[in-house]
Amino acid sequence: MEQLMIELNPQTTQPVVQVKNLAKAYGSNVVLRDVSLSVAEGSVTAMIGPSGAGKSTVLRCMNLLEQPDSGEIVIDGHCINAGKKTSPKSLAALRRSAGMVFQHFNLFPHMTVLRNVSLPQERVLGCSREQANEKSMELLKRMGLADKADQYPSRCSGGQQQRIAIARALALGPRVMLFDEPTSALDPEVGVEVLEVMKELASTGMTMVVVTHEMAFAENVADELVVMADGGIIEKGHPGQILKDPQHERTRRFLRAVLER
Amino acid sequence: MEMLKAIAIGLPLTVLVTILALMIGTVVALPIVAGLRSRNRLIWLMSRGLVDLLRGIPPVVWLFMLYYGISIGAVRLSALQAGVLGLGVVAAAYLAEIFRGAISAVPKGQWEASSALGFHRATVWTRIVGPQTARAAIPAYTTFAIGLLKDSSIASTIGVSEIVFMSSQYARQSGSGILVFFVAAGIYILLSVPLGLLSRHLDVKMRKAVAR
Ligand SMILES: Nc1ncnc2c1ncn2[C@@H]1O[C@H](COP(=O)(O)OP(=O)(O)OP(=O)(O)O)[C@@H](O)[C@H]1O
Ligand SMILES: [Mg+2]
Repeated sequence: MEQLMIELNPQTTQPVVQVKNLAKAYGSNVVLRDVSLSVAEGSVTAMIGPSGAGKSTVLRCMNLLEQPDSGEIVIDGHCINAGKKTSPKSLAALRRSAGMVFQHFNLFPHMTVLRNVSLPQERVLGCSREQANEKSMELLKRMGLADKADQYPSRCSGGQQQRIAIARALALGPRVMLFDEPTSALDPEVGVEVLEVMKELASTGMTMVVVTHEMAFAENVADELVVMADGGIIEKGHPGQILKDPQHERTRRFLRAVLER
Repeated sequence: MEMLKAIAIGLPLTVLVTILALMIGTVVALPIVAGLRSRNRLIWLMSRGLVDLLRGIPPVVWLFMLYYGISIGAVRLSALQAGVLGLGVVAAAYLAEIFRGAISAVPKGQWEASSALGFHRATVWTRIVGPQTARAAIPAYTTFAIGLLKDSSIASTIGVSEIVFMSSQYARQSGSGILVFFVAAGIYILLSVPLGLLSRHLDVKMRKAVAR
């Protein structure tokens, strides 16, 4: 297995994310079986697949929002083994290395946009209020949201809220950004704003794992495409290749369903 | 005039009993909520049982038990102590349920975002879940406080000389009958209406801040 992974990953540098033999069940419902994945530095991995395939679960296991039953997760050298007890310290280190963006943004509704982005820096990185605000404003500017700083999130459109959530995660300086269907709760026009920001982020060399139904993004921005179904990875490789010539019948069926919609 | 004087003497005790019982209730409610949220079945069961026990028995019975029933060695509770304590622990049970509901009204995504950002548990409670819980609990909390203000009259049964106690004493002595109770009723309304207004004001203000 170890051998295989190294062959699949031609980069000589250590991958930023490595997931090994991940398994997870809810009661008798096996949601993930033996999922292994590695994400190279600076690459964008898009993850697609039918509903219930386990895409979100893989992503949520990566930063231990979900406790896997077995397997190993290494992010930026911080290793978590499902079999062993995780120390709070290594959990904190792992989560600091991974920024997460949710489908429903999950901004803090009782804080202004600026506080949303600054509070984590103060609490997690130990920044001063001034340092944090400076960084936050810089990020909000980059997201085109400088004028929203003093608003409450609920006064912002969905697309704006998602970009705020991206800024909040970026503010902690993660090595990898995990996106779980970041545009699925948005109108298509608004989703474009978010996709633009993600594209820009990818172009600056951010390592990203993106669960998405946006095939254009998967094809044009992603370096690696992962197709999941029934709790496993059924296909992975170059996006153009897979979309043009899927090897697996299940992939073909899924792509037909998505593209013909 | 005598009548107003009687009520004026009762008023501070009504307010005192209400405020102290509310304070005891709020503080005692916190560990009970923790117990109700516990994943340990035994702790959960004990907390659940405590809440049901406190709520299942009429407050007046609690006061009688505390006042007449408890004598630890030579120590006996005064009427005021028994009244405040009894109303306080019963309040704790109701407030625990109010808080529990308000906590579970905080969307799961708030916890997840907090975890994903790497917040410590203390930070999640003080900065994220706590404030949102407080907001969600305000209407029910003030409704309960208004109820408690009126229920503090139960303490008259063990001789706490609050408004109702003073009123009935006056009624008996003067023979002037029902009038004093109308005045007492007016005082309760004067006390509770501002509380209700304050609650609504706070609620509206905070809703506006985070309005959709
Ligand atoms: N907390 C949970 N408890 C029980 N079952 C769960 C839980 N979370 C997810 N599942 C189950 O796990 C399976 C995989 O879910 P997951 O959310 O990972 O799928 P997904 O690929 O992200 O799908 P979607 O495209 O709908 O988001 C589903 O069958 C789901 O019902
Ligand atoms: Mg999902």
